[in-house]
Amino acid sequence: MWDSRKSILLSKVCTAIFLLAVLFIFITAPWLMDWWIHHSLSVLPQHKAHFLVTIYSGGVLALVLLIRLYQLLDNIGKEKVFIAKNISLMRQISWFCYCGSIISLISCFYYQPWFFVSVAAAFVGLIVRVIKNIMQQAIVIKEENEFTI
Amino acid sequence: MAIIVNLDVMMAVRKISSGDLAQKIGISQANLSILKTGKAKAIRFSTLNAICNALQCQPGDILEYRPDDEE
Repeated sequence: MWDSRKSILLSKVCTAIFLLAVLFIFITAPWLMDWWIHHSLSVLPQHKAHFLVTIYSGGVLALVLLIRLYQLLDNIGKEKVFIAKNISLMRQISWFCYCGSIISLISCFYYQPWFFVSVAAAFVGLIVRVIKNIMQQAIVIKEENEFTI
Repeated sequence: MAIIVNLDVMMAVRKISSGDLAQKIGISQANLSILKTGKAKAIRFSTLNAICNALQCQPGDILEYRPDDEE
């Protein structure tokens, strides 16, 4: 029977898969870029270094973001949902999204499709931020209830 | 918070311990302590009713309004 525990486990597995994917890209980026330049009609060989800078800088942010996401899921799994630590983790996740968005936006100077990545990252950051705001209010209500005798 | 809880005063007058009072009104000693030390943010009417019944007093005997200096 499907329950919240299994749902959290699935989320953790997906996060771990993404983590491994980012690590894979970290290790194989130069070869992946060579392959992509060879097969792409729009990517110029002289932009390989730019792509690697974007991928590695964005990849570091993605790595830390995924670790924070895993920590958040871990806390939720331990039934520590409405705690200040989770608010801090969500704030960090949203800021990593915004930083990723800025890196992608700067990368538009050499490859325009990065713009769509930038917009998507900013949008995800905004959604996470709104959810963080909701959780902050939930903590206030929870504390109010805890201290209602 | 300008509402002062004088529960310990009333408990001393009625000579009842925290454990006995908590048991009589149906709350934990931890919650009673929160109430006594002024950390509570709200009190249910049902709890206030139980306290007044147990201590044979009025709500005004255990709750006092003392304005803050800023107010």
